[in-house]
Amino acid sequence: MIGTLSVPERRYGLALAILLSLLGLTMAAAARQGPMAVHGGMALVLGLLLAFALGGALYDSEPAPDRTGRYYDAPTRFGIAMALVWAMIGMGVGVWVSALLYWPEATPALPWTSFGRLRPVHTTGVIFGFGGNALIATSFHVMQRTSRARLADAVSPWAVLIGYNLFCVWAVSGYLMGSTQSKEYAEAEWYADLWLVVVWVAYLVLYLRTLARRNEPHIYVANWYYMAFILVVAMLHIVNNLALPVSLAGTKSFTIWSGVQDAMVQWWYGHNAVAFFLTAGFLGMLYYFLPVRSGRPIWSYRLSIVSFWGIVFFYIWVGSHHLHYTALPYWAQTLGMTFSVMLLVPSWASAGNAIATLNGAWHKVRDDATLRFMFVAAVFYGLSTFEGSFLAIRPVNSLSHYTDWTVGHVHSGTLGWVAMIIFGAIYTLVPQLSGRTAMAWPRAVEWHFWLAVAGTLVYVVAMWNAGITQGLMWRTYAENGALAYSFLQSVMAMAPYYLLRTIGGALFLTGAVICALNTWATMRGPVASAATSAAQADRPLAAVPAD
Amino acid sequence: MSGPAPHEPDIDPVTGYGTTGHEWNGIRELNTPFPRIVVAALVLTFAYSVVTWVLLPAWPVGRDYTRGLLGLDQQVVATERYRRLTEERADWTRPFASGDFPALAADSELMAHAMPAAARLFADNCAACHGSDGTGGPGFPSLADGTWLWDGAPEAIAETLRVGINSPHPDTRFGQMPAFGRDGMLQREDIAAVTDHVLALSSGQADPASAGAAIFADNCASCHGDDGAGGLGIGAPSLADDHWIYGGSRDAILTTLRDGRQGVMPSWEGRLDDAEINMLALYVAALSAAASTGGGQ
Amino acid sequence: MRPMLKLHYNLEKLSMGLVAAIILAASVGGIVEIAPLFTIDETVDVPADLRPQTPLELAGREIYLREGCYACHSQMVRSLADEIDRYGPYSLAAESAYDHPMLWGSKRTGPDLARLGGKYSDAWHVAHLVDPRAVVPESIMPAYPWLMRPLETGDMAAQLSTLARLGVPYTDAMIANAERDALAQSRPEGDDAAGIPDRYGEGVAVSAFDGDPARLTEMDALVAYLQSLGRLTGVAYGEGAGRETTEEAAR
Ligand code: HEC
Ligand code: HEC
Ligand code: HEC
Ligand code: HEM
Ligand code: HEM
Ligand SMILES: [Ca+2]
Ligand SMILES: [Ca+2]
Ligand SMILES: [Cu+2]
Repeated sequence: MIGTLSVPERRYGLALAILLSLLGLTMAAAARQGPMAVHGGMALVLGLLLAFALGGALYDSEPAPDRTGRYYDAPTRFGIAMALVWAMIGMGVGVWVSALLYWPEATPALPWTSFGRLRPVHTTGVIFGFGGNALIATSFHVMQRTSRARLADAVSPWAVLIGYNLFCVWAVSGYLMGSTQSKEYAEAEWYADLWLVVVWVAYLVLYLRTLARRNEPHIYVANWYYMAFILVVAMLHIVNNLALPVSLAGTKSFTIWSGVQDAMVQWWYGHNAVAFFLTAGFLGMLYYFLPVRSGRPIWSYRLSIVSFWGIVFFYIWVGSHHLHYTALPYWAQTLGMTFSVMLLVPSWASAGNAIATLNGAWHKVRDDATLRFMFVAAVFYGLSTFEGSFLAIRPVNSLSHYTDWTVGHVHSGTLGWVAMIIFGAIYTLVPQLSGRTAMAWPRAVEWHFWLAVAGTLVYVVAMWNAGITQGLMWRTYAENGALAYSFLQSVMAMAPYYLLRTIGGALFLTGAVICALNTWATMRGPVASAATSAAQADRPLAAVPAD
Repeated sequence: MSGPAPHEPDIDPVTGYGTTGHEWNGIRELNTPFPRIVVAALVLTFAYSVVTWVLLPAWPVGRDYTRGLLGLDQQVVATERYRRLTEERADWTRPFASGDFPALAADSELMAHAMPAAARLFADNCAACHGSDGTGGPGFPSLADGTWLWDGAPEAIAETLRVGINSPHPDTRFGQMPAFGRDGMLQREDIAAVTDHVLALSSGQADPASAGAAIFADNCASCHGDDGAGGLGIGAPSLADDHWIYGGSRDAILTTLRDGRQGVMPSWEGRLDDAEINMLALYVAALSAAASTGGGQ
Repeated sequence: MRPMLKLHYNLEKLSMGLVAAIILAASVGGIVEIAPLFTIDETVDVPADLRPQTPLELAGREIYLREGCYACHSQMVRSLADEIDRYGPYSLAAESAYDHPMLWGSKRTGPDLARLGGKYSDAWHVAHLVDPRAVVPESIMPAYPWLMRPLETGDMAAQLSTLARLGVPYTDAMIANAERDALAQSRPEGDDAAGIPDRYGEGVAVSAFDGDPARLTEMDALVAYLQSLGRLTGVAYGEGAGRETTEEAAR
């Protein structure tokens, strides 16, 4: 990695590393104990390690001078690797917490192993660790290729990725230690939130600077989506996380919002974490890797425009569908419901545009597991958005809310859509980044595909059954006009589904482990000869003025 | 920007549509006309929304919001539905509010309606302490063993449910096992002796001449009865059977004598209505009856 | 080319134009839905009898957060007849007006807790939290044996004053006595116990929650919190909102 930086860049990096150590030291010294001190310690150690690595290699040989004529892919490789590490962690914890609901007595008497603390480790691990790293890594790749420009500088991509992963580690280790704001998908405490703002601004600036250097007059659709992802997530994150710390030297803070206003803000954020993190960003990924892998043009440019603006505009309104029949005023629920229904149109337009793009390449879908991942992702995207719009209708939600149906919907989106498109992108990208034509073990991709599909189906079908059973048991009236079931009966009825879900999750996790090993083997393996190098697949970088 | 000039749009052989002329690292886009069906879907979903906005509360306006033509309020709707629901079952719930237990228990049709409902109420409210089959657990008495702290008559059970035991209810039943050891009322040796006596009582081998028996007569009989069989209706259990609330081991009894006991049974007035309480009283009374016909003592 | 398409065709060439357009498009919905919640009377009314949580309850609330109870338990009885039937009066916005953050929840792996206060005894809660399957054999709730450790009370005053700055009506006396009140609420026989009803009202449970008044534990705090759920105000039990008795319904 350091070998790809010039000496001035190394110095710049060294300065940042020292700043990070100082920040860590300040936090640890100010807090003295508790999660904030531990997190300060982590930052200190990380800063020092980076400083030593950079300092030690400061005057090592410089990269080839012609590097500015090539794309800068080292950060992308690192981001992909981190995404896979987080996939193991996040999904491993997912399988474990799923098992805990079947074998509750398996929890050791250690606070950090209990369900309530591990559940946000799972959600943060997969959404931010796995999803976020994949998004950042692919965005670096995509924006360079579609702009025919090298990243605007060589240090900030590293700062963004390393800073972002530090945030993820802070968040997840904080929950284990019991530090949480309890805001779903935004549980990390105030100082981690602030840190993420800094990282995110750096990311946005890097993105815009690179776009500004582009050699294509038009900005490609994928970049619209990545840009919406970066901008709107920043907006959501800041508003939702506004909080007053009890002390600047302590972990604990109180969110400034309360009660019904807090509920609305949390789900305005929470839903749009789905929309702009788990959807917009990944649509960007889809819009790049699907046409590249299938060799087909995007089916309709005009449809892309309408679906993009539809998604950006409609999504923001729908957060209140998470609060149907609650103390949130009815009028806000009505808006959430109606906009969710309208949202189906741009959602399906995107899914349809992706599937229609494959026209003329169906034989490739049949033969190429990588492309099949992307196809299945588009299908699940369509399915889960349909399901979402359906669940957003108040009477339907009265049954599904609070039940495992929501969890089934979540995982049809996250396993079927988000994870599948990531795997498709990884299998397209990794050989290319490694200078090879294919993954090290092409057959393993096929295995992974079927494990992933089987795991998703088992998971989702089990949770649909679980959720509908639960919802019905809660509201069923016997002939005498009284409630028929006790709550505990509904808990007992869940056992077989929780077991099945654990099995489905384990299948999915196995596939992800295979992917990680395959990626590792591909990245470590021998590079193919320059002539066959997949890097040739790229258009050459347009000539640019020196950095 | 010195990008290449846009390509001449070319025709995609598969679909027959032209491309837009742009190309990004090999990616091109077709200039497919905007599909009609999408326009239709947009119009349709928008029409649905407009109708919904007109009918239901929807748009905030200043310090108020549009109420909608239907004038619905979710809380009023829910209260109304709940009222209808209770009305629909009123034909069999209302008689229970009267609390005429013998008549109720004799009306098998009424009971056939009510007992499943009582079972659900028991499972959601009582089973946490008394167990799903009513057999209790450490600290929580069995309701199915035919022995009673207060009284097993449905009237008395209903009263227990209404006011609770040692609960914050102003009329609560009050029952306290004094802390003989902690409060210095009995010496260590006396406690040991009376513990022996209690153990002997429950196994039916009590020796009226023992030291323990004397201490018992002086200190305990006033609540638990001369023979330790309880039943005085003051919350003190029988010690002459082998049913225990806190356990029948020597240690458990020693702890009871040393620190006292004051188990809390919540009051259900306000949480459950009279009919529900009375139903539950009959349900609980039946638990023991079932156990005793099933061979219990 | 139609004018809209032409417009977009040009927008695609301007990165800052796209940035502005995205921010604009993505702001409308949030503003329309969130801002009125701060102005419409119906949403901002706070009932006169709503009390803030005592320091001990607040500490319990933080343990509730820390252990992630909200991941399995909602605190929101929806306006649906079956929920009123099972749990009691539906929840009102006013009831969580002082909750930073709210804990309405999004999953019911366990039952709703909005009306929990007073439903069970302190002793039951202790037994249940230490080992749920000891009292409810069918339960799948995790055990929390470590809650019997001492409660940290060091920054309670600071927490109360932070909340006061956010609009929760903690008085200077409450803040000054925060630590003492936390201890006093778990010592019904103690000298300071009278301060609790003075400052927080008669309805507050003063009790040796974990059974041992000599030790102030995390269990004391959590149980005090659980016993306060649904009891910070009586509005939900007021006219029209509550469970009607069968007699009333039959009339
Ligand atoms: C928080 C735990 C708890 C719950 C919930 C509970 N009980 Fe109890 N109940 C007790 C305890 C403890 C006692 C014994 C009190 C004592 O030890 O003096 C008791 C006593 C009783 C008694 C008196 C038994 C006797 O021998 O006289 C009856 C009857 C009873 N409960 C029925 C019920 C019913 C019906 C419900 C549900 C509506 C219920 N209980 C809910 C804890 C509970
Ligand atoms: C003031 C009345 C009173 C007196 C005097 C009294 N008890 Fe009790 N005893 C009670 C009550 C009430 C309970 C039930 C407490 C509960 O369930 O919380 C009880 C419970 C017990 C239990 C526990 C039973 C079980 O099932 O676990 C034992 C053992 C016991 N008493 C023995 C004694 C002995 C021995 C004495 C005399 C030294 C004594 N009691 C004197 C009222 C009294
Ligand atoms: C893995 C999910 C899970 C977690 C985490 C969890 N619970 Fe539970 N909880 C349950 C289930 C299932 C039940 C129903 C069975 C029972 O009563 O134990 C329950 C029941 C309860 C009840 C009884 C409610 C009633 O009305 O019967 C209380 C109180 C409770 N939990 C409190 C807590 C607290 C406090 C925490 C955190 C420290 C917590 N729970 C964490 C699943 C969970
Ligand atoms: C048109 C698009 C969609 C709509 C309208 C929609 C709607 C909904 C609704 C109504 C719920 C249930 C809320 C509740 O009752 O608690 C929900 C939950 C959820 N959805 Fe979607 N959904 C859509 C797409 C997606 C996609 C594509 C994903 C994932 C990639 C996703 C992820 C989630 C998550 C994570 C939750 C759970 C939130 C929580 O309770 O923690 N959704 N969605
Ligand atoms: C190995 C595969 C996985 C398993 C076994 C798994 C398991 C679980 C479990 C058990 C829960 C808790 C449900 C509950 O509280 O009842 C959960 C929640 C969640 N998971 Fe997963 N998960 C997996 C993969 C993923 C992935 C890849 C993502 C995202 C990219 C994801 C996102 C989420 C989200 C957002 C929730 C919260 C849902 C809600 O609040 O309603 N999961 N998962
Ligand atoms: Ca946060
Ligand atoms: Ca204590
Ligand atoms: Cu949503």
